[in-house]
Amino acid sequence: MDRRDFLKDMALGGLVAGLGPRLMAQAPKPAGGPDLAFVQGDSPAKITKEAVAVLGGMTRFVAKGDVVMIKPNIGWDRTPEMAACTNPEVVKALVEMCLNAGAKKVVVMDNTTNQAQRCYMRSGIQAAAKEAGADVPYVNERRIKKMAIKGEWLKDWDVIQDFVEADKLINVPIAKHHSLCRVTIGMKNWLGAIGDPRNQLHQKLDQAEVDLSAFFKPTLTVLDAYRILVRNGPQGGRLSDTRLLKTIVAGTDYVAIDALGASFFDIPPAELPFLKLANQRGLGEINPEKLRIEKRTV
Amino acid sequence: MKKERSRKYRALQLVRVGVQAAFFALFLYLLFRTHFTGQDYIGSVEVYFHFDPLLAVATAVASRAVFTAFALAAITIAVTFILGRVVCGWVCPLGAVHQFFSWLFKKTKLLRPKKIVTGGLSWKYFVLIFILVSAVFTLDVVGIVDPLSFLYRTIVTSVLPAFGQGFMMLTGFTYNLGLAGLGDKLTQFFETLTINATFRQGFLIGLIFLGFVLLNMFRERFWCRTICPLGAFLGLASRWNLFKLKVDENKCIKCNLCTLHCETQAHPWPDEKWKSSECVYCETCAAICPTAAITFPAKGAPEKLPAVDLSRRKVLTATFLAFFSVPFFRISQAAKRASEKLIRPPGALPEKAFLQKCIKCGECMKACPTNALQPALTEAGPEGLWTPVLVPKIGYCEYYCSLCSQVCPTGAIKELTVPEKLNVRIGTAWINKNRCIPYFLGRPCIVCEEHCPTSPKAIKFVMVEAKLPDGTVATQKAPVMDLDLCIGCGICENKCPVMDDPAIYVTSVGEQRSEKNRLLLQIGPDQPPIK
Repeated sequence: MDRRDFLKDMALGGLVAGLGPRLMAQAPKPAGGPDLAFVQGDSPAKITKEAVAVLGGMTRFVAKGDVVMIKPNIGWDRTPEMAACTNPEVVKALVEMCLNAGAKKVVVMDNTTNQAQRCYMRSGIQAAAKEAGADVPYVNERRIKKMAIKGEWLKDWDVIQDFVEADKLINVPIAKHHSLCRVTIGMKNWLGAIGDPRNQLHQKLDQAEVDLSAFFKPTLTVLDAYRILVRNGPQGGRLSDTRLLKTIVAGTDYVAIDALGASFFDIPPAELPFLKLANQRGLGEINPEKLRIEKRTV
Repeated sequence: MKKERSRKYRALQLVRVGVQAAFFALFLYLLFRTHFTGQDYIGSVEVYFHFDPLLAVATAVASRAVFTAFALAAITIAVTFILGRVVCGWVCPLGAVHQFFSWLFKKTKLLRPKKIVTGGLSWKYFVLIFILVSAVFTLDVVGIVDPLSFLYRTIVTSVLPAFGQGFMMLTGFTYNLGLAGLGDKLTQFFETLTINATFRQGFLIGLIFLGFVLLNMFRERFWCRTICPLGAFLGLASRWNLFKLKVDENKCIKCNLCTLHCETQAHPWPDEKWKSSECVYCETCAAICPTAAITFPAKGAPEKLPAVDLSRRKVLTATFLAFFSVPFFRISQAAKRASEKLIRPPGALPEKAFLQKCIKCGECMKACPTNALQPALTEAGPEGLWTPVLVPKIGYCEYYCSLCSQVCPTGAIKELTVPEKLNVRIGTAWINKNRCIPYFLGRPCIVCEEHCPTSPKAIKFVMVEAKLPDGTVATQKAPVMDLDLCIGCGICENKCPVMDDPAIYVTSVGEQRSEKNRLLLQIGPDQPPIK
């Protein structure tokens, strides 16, 4: 099957899914398709779109009428070139693709660390996502409820309901250095979907990341490695703390994405406790050799 | 004789109410604009204060420095010279509040003026004398009773937090009624207002304000006629007013309604007793007169002053009282040692100069994005009551923000650009190893290191061994301070997961503005102290 046929099939699949939403919460990987898309190029928007296309296009993940929640990292009061928050162009491209795939509503949200207004605005994400047609609301305390996480350590915690009520969940982390868990990529990003006092989770952060990832189960993960943060994480502050990689990695295996992301920091995945824990629990693959990665440059 | 009220003055009275409402709305608009709106620089949202000549004079005298923005106050003086105290009657937002409640209390019969009130008018002149005399001795107490400071501070630290709670309760109802969509919309709207909801003295400051509002049940516009030093100041300037009250003796039926209902005890009838220094041109007398006998024709001659009985003896007494009071305001620990909790906002002048300029208005507290700036109670001594102090347990200093320094109306907080602000040290962080999780519990944490905003970070980590109760030893990353880099922003204390009494905390020592409250004599790169 060549790519064109495959895309046609996927479009049909999307139609079917549209007729019966929620029947296909997560579309199966097309036979022969790659596990991960790895796309490099100068334009953050273009490589994002290409990466999703490699995986079969957004219609594989988003059905007509879906409410899609996109979870970037908007944690810090930092401008995009500081690489502390997800690249706004990447978020914008994803919003556009979701709406084009027929999503009823796309919501972009994060529970920020610095003041929410400053993070939303100065990261550029609020403006970019709104321009593409998404809702970018602030976290509403009335929509935080205690839920059973059913993790190995984390039994229950306050969860922002927007993340569990959406039909589809897309995680859009950025790859950053972090002193406690060494790197923060997709799995740690879920700390932005829960309530406080989340800082207390640092006592067992690796396990908390795994428990939360298994709870949220994103439909799709798109790793923004256009510009990554290699020092003074997770917020940096100087351009010299960042490194330009011009890369997007996308896939459904969020553990594999974090494992691949670790390679940007020259860390073998098996050295990272949260990846080992996730792998042991059967949440995803951490051996790069077992992954089929399709690389492209645009 | 035809009995008919003057249509012209009834209309003018309505116009006055409209103008008051408009200026009050402008005051509120500027207040609500005072927060981060997406831009690093916020513009002149504090401009209202610059029209206040009392603040201008008292602050200039106390600090021996002229702040050019206060040139606008000359407009207020000029207007008062020509038109009398119209600023009190038509423009002042606190005057509007008191007028509204006076009206309300009359309508509800809580206030029933029965006989002509005499006396009390001179008090506000003594308040004014107290302020000006103490300013000569560099004590700046004007902010406590200046009407704009009083109102702004009360709205920011008391009314808005209460409004916020009420609003959130309201949205709670919408959720209970199953109107989640409406609730979401209301909540998002509320978020965009960015109201700081936590003020340690909100209740007290609100109570004081409420007291003055309730005094309107005793006398109309009690504050304006008895207390307000700005009213007194403008009363002194109100001398050559163009429009003078005139009672037409042919029409007057001597019913005394005008004097009974005069908002500010200016005594319209008989007109030779009318005190132009007290009249705020609210037009009530002219509008209420059943025979339209009262008019305000243009007439150029100056007034005889003082219209209010200010005997030389009383003036001297007030002067001496102020003179002898100044030292009492300075009985404070601050004379011996800096207070560890007195963390001032970035850009704050050295303490002495700061106190001479701060008017306790609360602009900085409104602008602060994290609610960190709180009105001081005892931290800065009696002189520093309600001046801003950063309380890291409540909020922290947002790294890329210099809003408080931009909105300060008097320059007590020196205006800083964002790049300038990044290097201003306001205090120093300390680690309490007895409470720090890695140090005593042997578990991972270093949340403080994660949040430290400087690059490179002022909080670094080292591996430490913790002896646990069972005799084993746990090795963990634990925070250590790099004091060369710490700016004292307090986010470490604010985010520390040891909830009640954070294991890392900021004190004022090392603050760059002080030449005494230092820690290391050559701390960090060369930075001139702020002067």
